[in-house]
Amino acid sequence: MTDSAIEMNGVTKRFGDVTAVDNVDLTVESGEIFGFLGPNGAGKSTTINVLLDFMGPTSGTASMLGLDVSDDRETLHNRIGVVPENYGLYDRLSGRRHVALAADLKDADDDPDELLDRVGLAREDANRPAGEYSTGMSQRLALAMALVGAPDLLILDEPTSGLDPNGARELRSLIREENERGVTVFFSSHILDQVEAVADRVGIMNEGKLVAVDSIDRLRQQLDAGARVTLHVDREPGRDLGDFPNVRDIDVVDGTVRGTCLEPGAKLQFIDRVRELTTVTDVHIEESSLEDLFASYTGEDARDSQSEPVVPGGVA
Amino acid sequence: MSVRTIARKDLADASRSKTLWVVTAVVLLSTAGITGLLAATSHMAAGEVFALAFQLAVTMLPIVALILAKGAITAERESGSLRVLLSLPPSRRDILVGKLLGRTALMLVATLVGGLATGLVVLTILGGTVGSLVTFIGFLGLMSVAFVAIGVGISAGSASDSRATAVAVGAYMILVALWNLIQSAIQYGAVELGLMAAGSEPAWIQLLGLFPPNRAANAAYRATVEGQLFGTDPFASVWLPVLVLLAWLFVPVTVGYLRFRDAQIG
Repeated sequence: MTDSAIEMNGVTKRFGDVTAVDNVDLTVESGEIFGFLGPNGAGKSTTINVLLDFMGPTSGTASMLGLDVSDDRETLHNRIGVVPENYGLYDRLSGRRHVALAADLKDADDDPDELLDRVGLAREDANRPAGEYSTGMSQRLALAMALVGAPDLLILDEPTSGLDPNGARELRSLIREENERGVTVFFSSHILDQVEAVADRVGIMNEGKLVAVDSIDRLRQQLDAGARVTLHVDREPGRDLGDFPNVRDIDVVDGTVRGTCLEPGAKLQFIDRVRELTTVTDVHIEESSLEDLFASYTGEDARDSQSEPVVPGGVA
Repeated sequence: MSVRTIARKDLADASRSKTLWVVTAVVLLSTAGITGLLAATSHMAAGEVFALAFQLAVTMLPIVALILAKGAITAERESGSLRVLLSLPPSRRDILVGKLLGRTALMLVATLVGGLATGLVVLTILGGTVGSLVTFIGFLGLMSVAFVAIGVGISAGSASDSRATAVAVGAYMILVALWNLIQSAIQYGAVELGLMAAGSEPAWIQLLGLFPPNRAANAAYRATVEGQLFGTDPFASVWLPVLVLLAWLFVPVTVGYLRFRDAQIG
């Protein structure tokens, strides 16, 4: 039996009266991509700080790759790659020198150029001092340093912050590549799409507590949200489409027919029925997003953050 | 292994700091310049000029050493690069020792350059032995390293760079700028409290005079020049002030390490 990649038992961290992490139990299996979600201030970073031995827990124990995070720190840190949150670089040293430093400290014989290529940092940039780097370039460099020594476990704390959409996509494919090599990836984010796109399982933290751990599909099933199907039609059919037990909130408005389908099969039934009545020109299906899910666990209404006001019926 | 890598990294990084070189150059050149002026215009012998230059250097070099050392840990803590280092295998002790070695090497280079410049000015104008130059540079080096150790200790024990700066300035004020005053105040207080007779010089008062590294270095230099390596009076010999200097080399940095070891890096 292989050791879990991450194992936390009853980890609590208090700062004075404030409980930042409250009795967290978490197991991340070897080989999975685990997304660690939560709004800012939920305790994600403190949890990671404990895992990295930046601070000791008030109570509880934590181990990674079967090694205690504090007692076996040096052995452990030889086998993990980390992009910490709010990390800093040495402004006066070149990107290549940073990677070489990580290789020296890990006693690894990686070729810095090869790693810098993998994260997409250009050769001429690798020779410039890191103080001249943009946020995106710094992030790529930090990632290259994390990949030094072929780690068994990657811990990425908010790795997408500062990356443009293109960079974020590259990061996701890099995460998948590493994962296919057998690397366990644990990464935190407050941006839901990033996690949804790549994680096998997610853990959601809120106010210091781990409120949910499961696969995204399973979590979604627990929600009674369904998929919102919008059909663009040539001409609007009559209001009465008949009786669908698994389709709710049927609505005909502005050349579209809409309905919320509670189970996958209902979508096809719904579309077939509408096609009998009229010509469907376009189909748009919106799955209940992680955002809804997230909101239901953290008590934040995700829709509040949308700036566009919803006008019922539409006003010309 | 880690220690050496970190020391090398620190040397490479810190030696690229322009501010540091400007401060160092100004201090060292002014020391050499004033000494040269003294040597050229006065009628003093080489030994006397060396003694004066030494006194000048022991007030100037501590500033350079403290500025150079006080950010060793706190600057990395604030920039976040400490989080990167701590994510890698080296322990906090490795990092601290590596930093101490890096800054020490840098300070020794600065001291050697400044000491050589000053000493060669004296030797060229007034003549003198190479031995006196070695003694001059040797004790300046030892004192500089003691102040680097104090600065690194302060840095390790401070949560922020501004706090480390404040404590380093405080250390300079107490140990270098105001020590005469502090010593007099203590002496006066002790007489008032009846702990000692007025005008007497008990051993602990003499020890008080040797307490700051700059005073200890000055005493050790004088004793060496006067050839009293192991005199009967410990306060006029070399070994006691050297012992004081060695204590400064280890005690503050150890205290700093203990605080750094238990620090929460958030």
